Amino acid sequence: MLHYIVRRLLQGIVVIFLVTLATFSLMHLAPGDPVQVLVGEAEVSQEVLDAITRKWGLDRPWYEQYLVWLWNMVRGDFGQSMVRTGVPVSQMLWEAAPVTLRLNLYAFAVALLVAVPVGVVAAVRRYSLFDYGSMVGATLGVALPNFWIGLMLIILFALTLRWLPSGGSGSWQHYILPVAVLATEQMAVLARLTRGSTIEVMNQDFVTTARAKGLPEGTVIFRHVVRNALLPVITIIGYRLSFILSGTIVVETVFAWPGLGRLFVLSIDRLDYQVVQAIAFLLTVLVVIGNLLTDLVYAYVDPRIRIR
Amino acid sequence: MPRFDELLAQTGKQGMTRRILLRRVTAGVAGLAAFGLLAACRAEQAPEEAAQPTPTPAAPSPTPTRPPAVVVTPQIVTPTPVQAEGKYGGEMIVTGHHEIASLHPDDAGPAVHWVMVTQIHNGMVEVDENYQLELVLAESYDVAADGLSYTFKLRDGVKFHDGELFNAEDVKHTFEWYMNPDNAAVNAALFRNIDRVETPDELTVVIRMKQPDAPFVVRAATTFILPEHHHGKVGKEGYASNPIGTGPFKLKEWRAAEYTTVEAFDEHFRGRPYLDRFTEKIVPEASVRAIMLETGEADSAVWQLLAEDNLRFAEDPNYTVFRTSSLAVNHFPINNEHPVLGDKAVRQAMMHAIDRQKVIDDIFRGTAVIATANLSPALEAWYEPNVKQYPYDPELAKQILEQAGWVDSDGDGIREKDGVKLSFTCTTITGDQARRPEAEVVQQYLKAVGIDMQLAEAPTATITEKLRAGEMDASLFNWTYGGAGGDPDASATLRSTAVNNFSHYKNPRMDELLDNGIKEVDPQKRKEIYSEVQKLVAEDVPFLYMMFWDWFNIFTKRIKGLPETALAGTQLYRKAYQWWIEE
Repeated sequence: MLHYIVRRLLQGIVVIFLVTLATFSLMHLAPGDPVQVLVGEAEVSQEVLDAITRKWGLDRPWYEQYLVWLWNMVRGDFGQSMVRTGVPVSQMLWEAAPVTLRLNLYAFAVALLVAVPVGVVAAVRRYSLFDYGSMVGATLGVALPNFWIGLMLIILFALTLRWLPSGGSGSWQHYILPVAVLATEQMAVLARLTRGSTIEVMNQDFVTTARAKGLPEGTVIFRHVVRNALLPVITIIGYRLSFILSGTIVVETVFAWPGLGRLFVLSIDRLDYQVVQAIAFLLTVLVVIGNLLTDLVYAYVDPRIRIR
Repeated sequence: MPRFDELLAQTGKQGMTRRILLRRVTAGVAGLAAFGLLAACRAEQAPEEAAQPTPTPAAPSPTPTRPPAVVVTPQIVTPTPVQAEGKYGGEMIVTGHHEIASLHPDDAGPAVHWVMVTQIHNGMVEVDENYQLELVLAESYDVAADGLSYTFKLRDGVKFHDGELFNAEDVKHTFEWYMNPDNAAVNAALFRNIDRVETPDELTVVIRMKQPDAPFVVRAATTFILPEHHHGKVGKEGYASNPIGTGPFKLKEWRAAEYTTVEAFDEHFRGRPYLDRFTEKIVPEASVRAIMLETGEADSAVWQLLAEDNLRFAEDPNYTVFRTSSLAVNHFPINNEHPVLGDKAVRQAMMHAIDRQKVIDDIFRGTAVIATANLSPALEAWYEPNVKQYPYDPELAKQILEQAGWVDSDGDGIREKDGVKLSFTCTTITGDQARRPEAEVVQQYLKAVGIDMQLAEAPTATITEKLRAGEMDASLFNWTYGGAGGDPDASATLRSTAVNNFSHYKNPRMDELLDNGIKEVDPQKRKEIYSEVQKLVAEDVPFLYMMFWDWFNIFTKRIKGLPETALAGTQLYRKAYQWWIEE
């Protein structure tokens, strides 16, 4: 087991290195000049542009810049944002990352708490009104864009009813709408997945055996069916980690949350190399760890994997 | 810093507009005189003059080239003291669309930055929301007869937020910081004609010029003053998050992507502002910014809402709405070195082929005015209406093309000449929801006269880079071609060697005019120069100038003390120190 973990960790480091190299070269080889973004519409001369280019070391070849970045990063220095003047990138991440993580964590908890019971019940009471109702809801949850749901909720709860703030963070009320929107989509995915996997397990021989030996239906469902049906759900949880940003960009934008998703898009847009690089790094680390944890949990839950 | 597409997109309020010095209709030729170039005109406060503006038509008045000194005085307004009837207390909340990346004045180009930076700082002179030049940290200024030196007398007893007294050394430090190439200041070019800054005494600053620089007063003397004792130590990086100015509000909390709050500075030289706090919240989504105005969560939107929301608020009696015109022209930059687009006849024909009023009405809901050349009609002092006009006339467009030898010989609907198709590609900004439809409509208009315009998309930084390198046929965005700071100089965009000459337009006469325009100290002669610039633009059509967008600034009715009128929307927020809240 230890050997397995070490091997996976080493693989992870190689992946992280390759991803940072790819991000860096893509950002630098893509057309577009970050200095232009900095000066905006100010009236500048070529000398001014050159001075700023030199100041940020952008006149050096990209691989040289990459090596400088890599060396600093290894020493724990993510550099400074070109755009947010003089602010260390690590500080920007430190501010933005918890916001996004918290939002995702709450949304995921809500989604799990709702989706798993709904999925199981829908599977057990297949073709019932509850089944149809919840699955139509789940389909809508996947199909309706986050953006639209968010605006509709704001119009209803902030504008018409005036119960909740329209955006921003601070109090617990601020969490309700963004968490609801974010949870909706995940709920929909998880509910459908749980239902499908529960039905599959219910058709297996060992369930029939359990029933045949006279176990009460509740015990059959909870002890035998649900435990096994949750395996694919766990996989999805790890897999969802990599969507942590893409899922929240829209929500952070609509609800004015100062999170990592918004920062990432904004930084790509304005070619703030250091910030993009750091977020890409952070994300890669998250995904690598997420996948590793998923595998470990999987191994724990499913003895067949452990034995192999 | 700004999202670049927004910079490109943005109209009136961008950093440029804030220093606009537009002659007010009532100010007559004084607007020109105030550029500080009139020999030996002493600019002093003359409130009684200012109170009785003479109604002068917008057209240049037949004043002698060197008007008497008295003409200049109505232009200068005294800093308005905090009015007596207001109520103290409360917090005003405004919304911006992207993070406030820095509070250093050198980064204050984007409106969302500037709105906060202006609360914290003051310039020696500033331009107000009606394009009037206002003496702020300066009590008066003199211009030498040859235009080679400016003497500023500074206000005594002005305090910085940390209690230190403001003096001439702070001005010297500020100017020299911008002038020093090692600091890589974004706005360094505005200071290029300064030779040195002298401080004969604590409250006097003399600025010596290398050569006369007509735009100096409104472009450079309006620079926000940095405290030498603090900025000199921490530099730009340290100052961006810890600014200390002389302004009515001092920084309380800066959370770049979330909100920035400033609070009243009790010892401000014009008196403590009414508001206890002034906060800008960052709300990226335009429709949510509109909802916040409706729920009362915000009192004003610094950045634009959707056109339909703007028009709705403008009708609503519960809001005070200022509708102003932008200085950036909505235009198609087109590569004048392109085999097809290099033909002036083609460019002129395209202008006739497009029904610009219909584009304004259909795509922008009427919230724009047709452009006649590079300068906005909002720049009343410099705008030249008597230029070559391009009314919508597709038949005339076809005729011009025929005469120039562009005919559709193979019957595919697209004209050719010498085997070259009348075809080019216009690259719009990726995801540009406002201008992509505009480009599509124009594509149809051009097709109707036999011109093929293909459409593509690219990010903004790619567009500007490729345009500069001459690797792109055409694009579509808004940009200021003269008018920044209220000064008509367009050297940064129309000069053949300019960095931002996106259309690769080269005309020796234009270069000559622009060079003369900077050196010319006589406002009347300058006016003639820039009239000719506009006529030349209309004749040459270096780019397809479409329109100037309207700019809306909306306030909830509980905000009192707002100015009666405004010509420059973003400049309004300079006056937050005079506003109060009344429920």
